[in-house]
Amino acid sequence: MARARWTILFLTPPLAIYLTIVLAPLLVSFYYSLTDWNGFNPNYNFVGLDNFLKIGRDPLFANAIRNTVVWMILALLLPSLAGLTAALALNGRGTAGNFYKSLFYLPICLSLVVVGQVWIWIYHPDWGLLNVVLARVGLESWTQAWLATPETALLSVIVAWTWQQTGLAMVIFLAGLTAVPKELTEAAEIDGATYWQSLRSVVIPLLLPATIVVMALAIINSLKSFDIVFVMTGGGPFHSSDTLAMFMYTESFRKYYMGYGSAIAVVLFAISLAAIAFYFRQVRTLDHLYD
Amino acid sequence: MRQAIRVVALFLLLALAVSGCTAVPAAPAAQEAAGSGEAVQLSVIHYFSDTLGKEAMSKILSGFNAANPATEALDNSAGHEDFKTQILVTLAGNNPPDLFSYWAGARTQFVVDGGRLAPIDDLWAANDLDSIIPAGIAAGASTYGENKYLIPIGYHYVGMFYNPEVMAAAGVTTLPTTWDELMAAAEQLKAAGVTPFALGSMNRWPAQFWFDYLMLRTAGPDYRARLMAGEASYTDPEVMAVMELWKSLVDAGYFVENANAYDWTDAADQVANGQAAITLMGTWITGYWNGNGLVPGENYDFFPFPSIEAGVPNAALGPVDGFVMTAASAHKAEAEQLLMYLLDPQVQADWAQAQGALAPSLQVDPAIYNVVMSKANEQVAGAEVFAFNYDLATTPPMAEGGLNMFAQFMNDPSGYADYLAETEAVAAEVFGQ
Repeated sequence: MARARWTILFLTPPLAIYLTIVLAPLLVSFYYSLTDWNGFNPNYNFVGLDNFLKIGRDPLFANAIRNTVVWMILALLLPSLAGLTAALALNGRGTAGNFYKSLFYLPICLSLVVVGQVWIWIYHPDWGLLNVVLARVGLESWTQAWLATPETALLSVIVAWTWQQTGLAMVIFLAGLTAVPKELTEAAEIDGATYWQSLRSVVIPLLLPATIVVMALAIINSLKSFDIVFVMTGGGPFHSSDTLAMFMYTESFRKYYMGYGSAIAVVLFAISLAAIAFYFRQVRTLDHLYD
Repeated sequence: MRQAIRVVALFLLLALAVSGCTAVPAAPAAQEAAGSGEAVQLSVIHYFSDTLGKEAMSKILSGFNAANPATEALDNSAGHEDFKTQILVTLAGNNPPDLFSYWAGARTQFVVDGGRLAPIDDLWAANDLDSIIPAGIAAGASTYGENKYLIPIGYHYVGMFYNPEVMAAAGVTTLPTTWDELMAAAEQLKAAGVTPFALGSMNRWPAQFWFDYLMLRTAGPDYRARLMAGEASYTDPEVMAVMELWKSLVDAGYFVENANAYDWTDAADQVANGQAAITLMGTWITGYWNGNGLVPGENYDFFPFPSIEAGVPNAALGPVDGFVMTAASAHKAEAEQLLMYLLDPQVQADWAQAQGALAPSLQVDPAIYNVVMSKANEQVAGAEVFAFNYDLATTPPMAEGGLNMFAQFMNDPSGYADYLAETEAVAAEVFGQ
């Protein structure tokens, strides 16, 4: 009884904060998604599900979904593979290994806004590092205005984002690697397994928990992708790098369709919820696996 | 049981404390201002957040505070892009500022329509502002519907800024005043290995000036005003003709490659270092160039956008910055004092010089301008119409669609008919409501 009271007592402050700054705004945007509010006018009308119907026929929404899916797929592949490679290469390499680990991890300490700005310079068509290097090695024909060309803008932003996220994936995989018992890899070695065989059949299966964490973070971060897009392209040129979050911002704060923006937020919320539910299911399955 | 009640009470207290966080500090502040003899605090928000603008505005506000000890204007600034979102959120909230800077035109209209601004007709009449502010600016920038709302503090003129050395080297000795002359000059520049027109449309808005002037010089200011108000269609032959004309320039190779990859300062640099000859830009470019050590009249100059169709009224283009008072302001008398202070000839002159802008007040001596700005001043004075640039002339959601079209156009002008059809679909939604 006393314990329950203390529990309530200690839970109250965070719960109160959570209710006011997370749940209340969430419910408020649900409410606004049913209106045609423009963001500051005291008068607005209830429009029922009109905003959601508009989502269904808005080509810009379909475009933002497509870009977010591309982002998610690449977010699942690029930082995870790069992070895994770095982790395997640098695990247990002493001082030099630690030095390189720090180097890979360093970008995580930067704000995405800073990362975006640095990569804007790298992608600059005239004096950016990328085009200058391409021109020097004789690939002049490959140089282009990376962020201004609709075909390359989204990919260029994802590459910049990957550069930062690799460090995070690497650290999680490194933590996962410490949980791989040495006996198992040694046993595999004694049995004559090559490095690749041991990697495929022993190490990678044991990295499953780490992999799930990396994947879940990748999915959640790709749904959140806004800041780096905002800084680097603003969703442009002409929506070619619009993600759902960026599109929601444009509709709400540039066009002042706050009602429609809220409806997009509700859809984004539903997708995130599904992703998180999937993640929790996987974690539960894992728990059973190790029980 | 009693303990359970105590826990519940504690929970309520905490919930109140957390939810009341925003309301609590506001109350004592208001009491303080009304009760004691301390200065009335005026909250002012503006978007002059770059080093020069911030410094100049803070100088103006401290000048006001020194002259009016009973009032204390509080200086708050945010960058342009942030300002656009923040100000609307602030206006919708419970604690709006007393005064804020704003772009005259459709954006101010938008806030007026929301009922968030206080009219200043009494202030206008009492101080006979019609004798201080030119009629064109008073009508276009200050008046919304039946009322006056905005005090202009500075405005800019958009012109063809060029590098005289490059033009001379290419053999362009007389500045083009007609379309044919402009085309001939562009051909000469191109033959000399110089790109005629620099454009940095990464942030989209620099491209709009081409659309604006082509529209103003062909279909004319009246038609353009109707298009901006949603009374004409983006698929009209007038608009088609403008895009066709613009496309002919891109096709002829008169624009820099990859305009969407550069911002306006890149374009300014390309003109300054001689890679390109001309850039269509507002007079704020003079501030940028002066800061880089260029000499007005020697290293740079401008000529007005050439006439295209004969008989079309001569229009000048540009944005007007001003200050507006919120309907919710609790200190309207003090806020009006500050608005009047902003019209002081010395304040207007200082501001114009700090910003590379033109002063709206007729009391400002034109001798303050350098040779280039003084020419810009004459251009505006001699124009029959002063038009706002596209993103200030049409409503924000429409501007978003139009700016997008310009970026699309600069990327691949061949699809302009499709882009116009898409833009018209946006217009139908925006103005159809």
